[in-house]
Amino acid sequence: MTHCDRQYLQCLLDESLPETTERDVAEHVAQCPACQSELESLAAGQVWWMEASRRLSKSYVVDGTDSAPPANPVETAYFPVESAPASSIHDDEVDHFAYDFAVDFLEPSHDSTKLGRLGDCEIVEVIGRGGMGIVLKGYQQELNRFVAVKVLAPHLATSGAARRRFAREAQATAAIVHPHVMAIHSVHASAKLPYLVMPFVACESLQERLDHQGPLDVKDVLRIGMQAALGLAAAHAQGLVHRDVKPANILLETTVDRVMLTDFGLARAVDDATLTRTGVIAGTPQYMSPEQANGDAVDHRSDLFSLGSVLYAMCTGRPPFRAETTFGVLRRIREALPRPIREINPDIPEWLDRIVITLLSKEATGRFDSASAVASLLERCLAHVQQPTSIPLPLDIDRWSPRPKHPTSKGLGFLMAEVGGLLLLTVIVTVLVNQLPDPQPVTNNTTHVPNPNTAPVEVEDLTDPRLRWDSLQSEFQNAETEFAPIEAEARRSLELLNGDVEQTNRIDRREEP
Amino acid sequence: MVEPETRPSLLLRLRAPQDQQAWAEFVCIYEPLVMRVLRQRGLQDADARDVTQQVILAVTQAVQRWQPDGQQASFRRWLFSIARRLALRFLERGQPKRGIGGSDMLKVLDRLPEPEHRTEVQFDDEYRNEVFRWAADQIKTEFRDSTWQAFWRTCVLHEPIPEVAELLGMSAGNVYVARSRIIARLRVVVEQFEAEHAAGDWEGVMP
Repeated sequence: MTHCDRQYLQCLLDESLPETTERDVAEHVAQCPACQSELESLAAGQVWWMEASRRLSKSYVVDGTDSAPPANPVETAYFPVESAPASSIHDDEVDHFAYDFAVDFLEPSHDSTKLGRLGDCEIVEVIGRGGMGIVLKGYQQELNRFVAVKVLAPHLATSGAARRRFAREAQATAAIVHPHVMAIHSVHASAKLPYLVMPFVACESLQERLDHQGPLDVKDVLRIGMQAALGLAAAHAQGLVHRDVKPANILLETTVDRVMLTDFGLARAVDDATLTRTGVIAGTPQYMSPEQANGDAVDHRSDLFSLGSVLYAMCTGRPPFRAETTFGVLRRIREALPRPIREINPDIPEWLDRIVITLLSKEATGRFDSASAVASLLERCLAHVQQPTSIPLPLDIDRWSPRPKHPTSKGLGFLMAEVGGLLLLTVIVTVLVNQLPDPQPVTNNTTHVPNPNTAPVEVEDLTDPRLRWDSLQSEFQNAETEFAPIEAEARRSLELLNGDVEQTNRIDRREEP
Repeated sequence: MVEPETRPSLLLRLRAPQDQQAWAEFVCIYEPLVMRVLRQRGLQDADARDVTQQVILAVTQAVQRWQPDGQQASFRRWLFSIARRLALRFLERGQPKRGIGGSDMLKVLDRLPEPEHRTEVQFDDEYRNEVFRWAADQIKTEFRDSTWQAFWRTCVLHEPIPEVAELLGMSAGNVYVARSRIIARLRVVVEQFEAEHAAGDWEGVMP
């Protein structure tokens, strides 16, 4: 059957068709997307449908006692953002908060159905907020399209440096035209609050997928990992380091199997304002690289570590390095080996575990050379998984050693100087290591480039696989509670002394148990 | 809750049936509207009810000054125009302290100057929410329950169409048709309401 005549659809809407014809036409409509949208547009414009949906779902919420379940995101086009921090504010308050913030800087709109106006966008609604600011849904009348408008938060916008970086990096991102990088329509850096205009895409973030689905199957891990790596490769080719690769910044389009990276370089703007002000790292650090956790200079290989953490999360449903506090997470990123993937999810093949572990090398040189190398490796693995009999697993997988077993060159003295409080933990590890049988000397295939900052002092292996977190966890937890006040004091002193090693050692000596 | 209909003076004022209907519409829309705006500002439930009552009483008193000009639907326009102004005046005067804490961002926001149009924008947005709710209440009974459910579940609750069709024992095609019919009807009712209540003629009026 061909598409229905517009008149038929109008009659269908007006209930003026004979019963049998009505049934036939309705059946056709169920199968034919073109007729569906024609019928819907005869009833009301798209904007009107969305407004009715939004207003009715809101107007039935009185006193916050609404029982309506959360909307199923698959049917609606929306733009995902990071969810509120764990210490979450009540939903009502989030709504209220977002509303206030939104109308604060919007121009009043002439159209009463809109929240307000921002440049050439009529703002339809607030769709979410993240650490950086809020995301609004906008409509550009002249171009007849919906857009997602990302606005920098007021407290970041007051920092000149944050604004400049926001602009510079957003403009650089706009220059990356790649199917796996979220496009940017325009950058408005000089607005009262700087903002970006992006396409409004029906998608969910990988974070949301993991939240409701748990671990993904091997094919999806490889497919999503490969596309994310391709997006990263495109950025790296432009000299951009993403710095904030994490599931919340990887978008999965709902209609096609396409993966898009988003939020390029915005993380840097966050660093800017918060680091200079308080000296504390902001946001969720779970996917940071060790060099980021150390505050060292980062290059494209930092993104590869984060990509490894994302792959780990896809395989297991949770990030590799977890702890109660930000400080704890950073410490684990620097020092700990994550729990083996196959202990959590036995469906993951050994070779995939090895790829992830290689990406999670503490030393940047231990990872792969480039994102494109990762992409092509994952692509070949995917081909193998899809056709195991005709396509062999890429041979070079065997060239990477599994988990590192060689003693690291990280010196005890370096650790002491690095953060005073860490000493205590190092001591505990040392004690525990001494209680274990001597590690077997194992040949190491990976090239090892010593960190120039590191004092060449031999030290017990902190990454020995026998020192897994699961076995050490309780000891560490006890230690953390017991020494938390001392550690806090040490950190404070350290900040005051601004890295004066002599002073630090004095503190360390005093606090040694 | 306040029952303004029982005030004899008000009933006397509203002799025409269409005026009484307008009053009923006003109460139906403004009560939840003002309540919600106040609750969003962090007022406790009881306090919000108090202020809502004051707004409705103030409008009731303003009605005493209503001079019919014999034109069709003029009371309706006048009433809604006065009500909006009075409600806004209450809301702006109050600016109650928000009962929210715990976020640094909110502290930042609190320090920002209060934009003049904020209350108005928020109020008008909530007003339109109420108009939609009112219109939905009006037309709900015009349709079979399954038709209404097909619309509500797919458009408002965003449940997937195949599931809703199965649940309601309808074909997917009928779900598409049902929700389109309701949207079409809803649009007519909302647009008609707006045409009848547009405050344009009464812009200058202040109670």
